[in-house]
Amino acid sequence: MKLISVKPVVDKVKCIGCGICAKVCPSLAISLVDKKALVNEQDCRGCGGCNQRCPVYAITMEKLEKPYTVAVAIDDLPYEQIDALCRKARLNPEQIICYCTATRAEEVAAAILKGAKSPEDISRLTGVRMGCKVECIQPMLRLLQAAGITPVPPDGYQWYGLTPTVWDIPEAVKAKYAKRGFYFDEDIKLLDKVADAKAKGGNS
Amino acid sequence: MTRQPITPGNNTFCSNETPRRSSIMPMAPRASQYGIAPELVKKRLAEYPEMTSLMVKDLFDDTPAVIYPGEGGLEAVRAAAEKALAGVDMSMIKPGQSVNVLASHHGFTLLGGEPYAELLRVVRDVIVARTGVQDIRLRAGVGLRFRETEEYIKRYKLDVHYKNKARGIAPIDEGIAIKTEIGTLYGIKAVYDADWIIHVHNSDVREVHFHRQVDRAVKPFGMSYARIETRSTYHWNMGPRGANFTARAIFDSEFVQSKYAFTAFLSMSPSGVVGVRAENDLYLLNDQLTVEGLQYYGKIMTLLGEVDECIVGLDFPCPVPYVFAAGVIYANFVGANADLFDLDQGLPPYTWYTEAFYGKNGKPLIEGFAPVNPAIKMVVHNYAWGGYPSAFFSEQIPTVVVGQEQAELLNADPQNLQYMQYSVVANALDDAMHFAYKAAKTDKVLIFDGAMGGINVSDSLAALLVEKAPLISARVDKELMPKWLKQRGVTGL
Repeated sequence: MKLISVKPVVDKVKCIGCGICAKVCPSLAISLVDKKALVNEQDCRGCGGCNQRCPVYAITMEKLEKPYTVAVAIDDLPYEQIDALCRKARLNPEQIICYCTATRAEEVAAAILKGAKSPEDISRLTGVRMGCKVECIQPMLRLLQAAGITPVPPDGYQWYGLTPTVWDIPEAVKAKYAKRGFYFDEDIKLLDKVADAKAKGGNS
Repeated sequence: MTRQPITPGNNTFCSNETPRRSSIMPMAPRASQYGIAPELVKKRLAEYPEMTSLMVKDLFDDTPAVIYPGEGGLEAVRAAAEKALAGVDMSMIKPGQSVNVLASHHGFTLLGGEPYAELLRVVRDVIVARTGVQDIRLRAGVGLRFRETEEYIKRYKLDVHYKNKARGIAPIDEGIAIKTEIGTLYGIKAVYDADWIIHVHNSDVREVHFHRQVDRAVKPFGMSYARIETRSTYHWNMGPRGANFTARAIFDSEFVQSKYAFTAFLSMSPSGVVGVRAENDLYLLNDQLTVEGLQYYGKIMTLLGEVDECIVGLDFPCPVPYVFAAGVIYANFVGANADLFDLDQGLPPYTWYTEAFYGKNGKPLIEGFAPVNPAIKMVVHNYAWGGYPSAFFSEQIPTVVVGQEQAELLNADPQNLQYMQYSVVANALDDAMHFAYKAAKTDKVLIFDGAMGGINVSDSLAALLVEKAPLISARVDKELMPKWLKQRGVTGL
């Protein structure tokens, strides 16, 4: 869930049509029309990535007159389905997966169960990855993978792919660094314990 | 609880002979898109008469001598850098080739930023002198404020020194796949678009909750030089004690090794710059800095864990978790009720893994991990930036934010949309402190304002720290250091 309170505004005079804003936009809300950036406000979730990477400072963030919230309900789905998907991705349904919006795995799982097929879909529906734009891409991809979905990276720099997890580290690598302060097996136990923990419920 | 300021003069704390010092005036507010305008910061916590300062050297007599701050000024940093670089092999860099000097934002927050900027200038100067190459670019990585190093490049005129070949880079910039021994990770393409890369960083321990002082010197390869996929791997896929392996995996890759030339580090301690180290062998340097980091920062971090109750003041131009006192960042004080250097302790009271593991009812999803430091009774957020997800802190600890403008800045920050949900606003610092003293029922105050060489605290807290320091020093020397070193597979220097 995220409150959308700002939107990007493009200065068409300054814009050089380089397209970087479109290539970094996590919700694919920007396109180039007549060599100028055009924001589709319906898809924008106010992360400011375009503003932060425009090489000529042509994009400013302005307050929305009517802020609104995006969220995916979880109570109209059987919770067992949400729970199963999260745990398949080795996540607890109640754990937070986006620190900026405090969105929990269960909401992202619900978005996928309701039809989201890519990180972009998930971002537009839930607002995750619309704060720092960095940290939550892997749990999103892990949940999609757990649902049997293999999304295709967009034609930009939005994301490239799944990366290894601690469960994937070969035993030989673990042994090689066993005395260098990396506690892989202990961390696996910890992460498994969290993923397996009973959801406690309550209001978020 | 009554506040009884000790008046300046010949006072000492308790029976100890440590003299009472005036507080150290912190660095002035910085103009930045991530913070409020400097003129809106009307007063600093260090200005209160009940605040004093303790020099790290007064607390621990084995604190190393520093070259900066000091009489030699920046010239001392330049001289140390030139001397260190003289021992580095640069013969792999041939005329006509290109070099990327890699920097990170954090160095610019240390001691006003000039020492790190000077190191970056010297590195370029020496490369030119030794190799004759001219195509030397500065690539300055960031945390989660994507234009932060752009601001520093201009502030320190590094664009001029690097002949207009200096730029900030961000984790959402175009990436490059890097094959590692654990699978494919991703770096920022602009980091690696030269024939050679030079790693220029600092040894300030900073995020011990994340890296746990394991491969500290390697970390930027998995963070400020890395794409979002890698950084997310660090914070999601690897666990709280395996996270920094992402950096080692990338650095060890055939691709990175084919471009890596050497490393230069500003060697830091809680009281300032100890010197400059430069090596071709990053792991040799890494082991040295692991030991030094534990030695230099272990005592002050352990000592701050002894604070029984306090009001925390945030008063420095950087995001909430990174404001620091005597080299210890606020995020680490939030976890100071645990030993963050002890790798037997899996989950620190604050790290992103911990934050993620609080359930919807506000309680941990599993038993057995420590709450945030219960000694922190209240936080007075006088001056700190947005640009880092910080709502966890205000959700866990009562927080007073000074000034409506600062509250609005946080409300407009996509990374902090909930910070103010859990905070209250005071019109002025005086109002905030009045409220904090009454509500927190303690007169102990610890100020995270980046004071150079020491730490600004209330008289009452100073007395506690002075009293505890000798015991902590002995405990770290005899008990903790041997354990910390053994856990990391390194021996003392």
